[in-house]
Formats: sequence, structure tokens, C-alpha cells
Amino acid sequence: MLLNPSGIVAVSLAHCLGVGVPLLWDALIEHRSGLRPNDLEWCNLNCWIGRYPDLERAIPPTRLEKYDCRNHRLAWSALQDPLLQASLETEYTKHGTHRVALVMGTSTAGMQSIETAYKTRLTTGLWPASFSFGDVHNVEGLCQFVRDAIGLKGPSIGITSACTSSTKVFLIAQKWLTTGVADAVLVGGADSLCLSTLHGFNSLQLLSDKACRPFDQCRNGISIGEAAGFALLTREDSNVMFLGGGESSDAYHITTPDPEGSGAIQAISQALRVTGLAAKDIDYINAHGTATQFNDRAEAKALRQIFGEEDTPISSTKGTTGHTLGAAGITEAVITIEALSRQTLPPMTQLTQADSDIALNLVTKAAHARIRHAMTNNFGFGGTNCSLIFGQGI
Amino acid sequence: MFEMTFHLLAASALAPDVPNLEALLRTARTSIPLQAQKPLQLPPPAKLPANERRRSSQAVRLVLACLDELERQSRQPIGALRSIFATNDGTGEVSQAMLGTLATTRAISPLVFPNSVHNAAAGYFSIAYKNYKPSTVVSQGKDSFAAGLLCALTDALTLNEPVLLICFDPAMTGPILEHLPIHQPTACAIVVTTQDTNTPALATIHAKLSCSEQPDNFPKWLPSEWEQNSAAYGFAFLGQISTEPTRPITLKLGQQALSLTRQ
Repeated sequence: MLLNPSGIVAVSLAHCLGVGVPLLWDALIEHRSGLRPNDLEWCNLNCWIGRYPDLERAIPPTRLEKYDCRNHRLAWSALQDPLLQASLETEYTKHGTHRVALVMGTSTAGMQSIETAYKTRLTTGLWPASFSFGDVHNVEGLCQFVRDAIGLKGPSIGITSACTSSTKVFLIAQKWLTTGVADAVLVGGADSLCLSTLHGFNSLQLLSDKACRPFDQCRNGISIGEAAGFALLTREDSNVMFLGGGESSDAYHITTPDPEGSGAIQAISQALRVTGLAAKDIDYINAHGTATQFNDRAEAKALRQIFGEEDTPISSTKGTTGHTLGAAGITEAVITIEALSRQTLPPMTQLTQADSDIALNLVTKAAHARIRHAMTNNFGFGGTNCSLIFGQGI
Repeated sequence: MFEMTFHLLAASALAPDVPNLEALLRTARTSIPLQAQKPLQLPPPAKLPANERRRSSQAVRLVLACLDELERQSRQPIGALRSIFATNDGTGEVSQAMLGTLATTRAISPLVFPNSVHNAAAGYFSIAYKNYKPSTVVSQGKDSFAAGLLCALTDALTLNEPVLLICFDPAMTGPILEHLPIHQPTACAIVVTTQDTNTPALATIHAKLSCSEQPDNFPKWLPSEWEQNSAAYGFAFLGQISTEPTRPITLKLGQQALSLTRQ
């Protein structure tokens, strides 16, 4: 069955610089970073983080009180986008709330809430009265929260495939639109800072003590960020279309990517194949570019193999946003959609001296360019790989 | 409303007192409630490299044991299939151990952390079977089997290839059990396709997604303590199509319902 392109009707993001896509885009273009030295009261690791600055103000209304947690505050912030809300209303009117589906990606969901509650449980023998496991911790809780917040009644599922969680949501949405499972699909992702990921990546010695520097010769690890975002997809034409994507498994190691980048090559090649495009047709690539030694080297190898002769402009935007893990897919998809919409290449933020082994055409300065098609890639623990291609529409 | 027809090419089941699909169907046919008293022994997965085998979590052992059983009885070459993993909470005792450490020393083991992601079992499956096809992990609480099946069916339909769905619930331990009562491990695996194949199908099934149907009650022949186990709804599906082929089974999927009727 031929998968149809899907129109991107609206996008929204909450990120470490605040709320809104324009705020993030301006920072990217001006080489500004939202990363800061770790100032979390509840974590004293020596690292940099991409902390959402408006958390205290992002309190959901009383009717959604049971869902209140760090992750859902991020999602709530991103849901306040006026264009997204208006577009959802349009789709509800056209098709009914039961024909609009929800596909959400997250890696750790409301982990920070259970970390706090669990400590209380160990100390006092009782869970905090306000803690509601199913509403804040489970992956399902994120879907329920979004459904209840916006009155959506179509099918909904949570995807939790590490750093490709909110990348894969686009592939599912396209299949659901093509087969008629739904008439519009709201895709998104949310992942928030928590002890599990901060101490977990610290245990693997993968946290940088500075702002992360993807593809830099001095890169020494990731900076964990937090974000939530959404994109509303329909069958209708729009100025930016989701054309298709590819995915694969490394079958190599649970945390380390295949050094030859073979899994990434498969995902990218499949994305090109299903969209009927060649490497020369891609005018911008938003790389996964986490800033670990192994990840960046393996990804660069894969990108060189497919795009080496084309000299395709590539940037990793994690120097501005941090690695938002389960929300990396939606964050970077939205940046890629903006690049297409504005016909502008977003540059690297923290790059000082590109690693000579990387040998990619890294975007060091924002520039207007003819962008017909743009790609975004995410790879993650478990050897999961996913590549998406967006194109200009009407 | 969304409707489609698919073929069930293979199935397996694993739980306490359910060593395989035949044992599950035998119980479904007799309608004598399953006691589930014999603890499930999960051997170290032989297909993993020795270093990975030793430290494999309960979730990884459960998934790989269920897939071994699927391969043994169906002769399906599952190492070449794309897959959907569905789970209520696929981490089991790993989350518990992480939370305990974070509440005290915060000295997380670098060997434990990678197993705390919900797709760890999917990653180890790809390593064990050298399977380069994609896997996607779906989680929708106890509706995860229905959610995973919907994803597997739309994958099979749009990509014209068979899809493996494995639904699994490692047993929870300690304080988390007070919130998520998954007392025993359960897993089921099926292979679905929309294409006509040379492989004889176990069943041909009509699927209908709608917002008007009422979900069925949890079957009485399954232990009531499995109600939070998402794989138990897979057991209910396999039991129903085997014992009462003409009657549909309707599974809850959020605010919608997925009805499945044997053709």
C-alpha cells in the first residue's frame, strides 16, 4: 500500500528557552543556547542541563489536577499554542473528536514524580497522598492527560522506544491516516529531567561537564534537556508535508551504536526509498548528534556513506536544546519543519572545531537556502533507528 | 470506524502454569479457572552472548522465552520479522532497583540503567535473533495488547509484510506493586499478516475499531489477579477465537474498542 504524504497543519514546542517555536528558532539562528550549569535543587551532578524555565507557571487547571507532574506541565505548556488549538478545533468540527487520534512518545514519562514519591514511601512507609501512579508515572498517563486536556476521543497510544519515541509517532500517524484509522492525528512527545536519566547517563560516563558540543573535536558527552511538543497531521495539503520515513534495529549492543553506522544507514536508505527520493534531493539534515564520541562518529560514518558526495548541509541542534531523549524526535522534527517553512538552515550552536574524523558539511552559520526536502534522524538505546523526511507542500 | 481482515500465522503464550499455547487453549476450552500457582522458570536466554545472558532482566528472559516457544511450535522465522512490543510497564524489577538506589546512594549501576528503558527487551531481541528489522514499543496500560495489535495490523496492511506482536508484563516487586499489581509474569506473541501466504493460518480474523462497542468483561477462566497484565488480554483473545469462534471479543482501547471476530 502506498503511504500518502501527510500535511503538517500546526506545530508547538515547550523547551529549555521557554514556550513557542519562534523563541527556539530565534535562538538557533543567533547561536544562543538554552543550556545552563545544573541548578536543580534535587540533583548535584556536575553537568549542564536544558531546564524548562516556566515550570512553576505551567500548572494545569483544577480539573486536571490529578495529572500534575513535571512531564505533564511541559506538555500542558506546549498545548497552549493558539494555532494548534484552533487547528484541533477545525479537525474536531470537520470529523468529530472520535476521529482525531493521538500518538505520544516518551522515554521516562513522569519519572521525577515517582522518584520523589518513592523516597517518601521508603522513609515513612506511605506513598504521598497526592501521588497517583497511573495518572503521572505510566506512559499511558501522558496520553490520558493530553486526551483529557483537549477533549480528544480518537484512538490513542504511547510509544516508548528510547530516543526514537517521538520520531516513530510520525510513521504511525501516516499509516493511520492512510488506512483510515483516523482523519487527523495529533503526534507529540514529552520528556522531562529526572534523577534516573541524569544519574543513569552519569553512570555510563556520558554526561558532559560543559554545554554539549555535537561533532566537535572536544566533545565529551551529552547535556540532558527537557521538552514537549506536538504536530497535527491530516490528509490535506499544507505548506510542509511529512513524506515518509525509515526505521531499523542495530542488533549490535544495548547502548553503543554499531560503529559502522549500519543500522542508521538502513533507516536513512529506507526513508529515501519509500519517499522516492535520492540523496541529492535532501537539502538539509537535522542530525541526532548527541555529542558522545561513539554516537557522533557512527552517525557521521552513516551520513558520509549516503550523502558524502552531495555535501548536504547538516546540523545537530542539541547544543541549543540539549538531548531531550524521548522528546528529541518531536523537538527536532519541528526544527526541521521550521527550516523548510522558513527556507533557512539552522546552524550548530556549540561547535568550535569540527572533529576532523567527522568530515561532514556542518552548518556553522544560519543561511537562507533552497530546501525542497529535509531529513531528521534519531537513534537510541536498544539500537533503535528512525529517519523522517519532510518536504515543501503547496 | 476502521475495519480490516488479517490472518493469524502463529501464536505462543507463557505464564505460570501456562508453558505454551496448547496449555492456554486447553484451559480456555474447559473453562476451569487457571490456578497459576507454579512459578514461571525463566532460563537465561541461550541466544544472547554470554555476558548479556548473565545480566539479562526478567523482562528480557520473559520475552525471549516466549519467542523461543513461538519459533519452536510455529517454525516461523521470527528473526526476519518487524515487530511491535506492547507492555503495561516493561521494566519490572529494574525500575524498582533504580528507584531504591536513587532514594539512597544514587550510585546507579551502568549495567542496570540501560535495562530501565522500555525498549530494552526489544533491543535484546534484535541482538539475540540478529534481526535488523525495526521494533516499536507501545504502552497503553492494560490496553497495551489492543494498542499493540492495532499498530501491528496497520503495519502489516501498509507495508505488506508479516508483523510480530509480543505483549509482555514482567512481575513487579516491592513498593511499586502497591500501585501496579502485576504479581506474575505473562507474555504472548502472535504473527499477523494481511497477505495470502503459503503458510496455513491458525485463523482469519475480522478487526473493527469503533467508539460504540462495549468491551468484554475479563474472562473468568483467567486468574482475576492478571487483570492489570496487558498480555492477559492477548490470552483472552486467543482463548476466545479458539473456543467460541463465531462470537467476537471486544477489547478496550482507551475510549474506543477493538472487536475481533473469527471468519
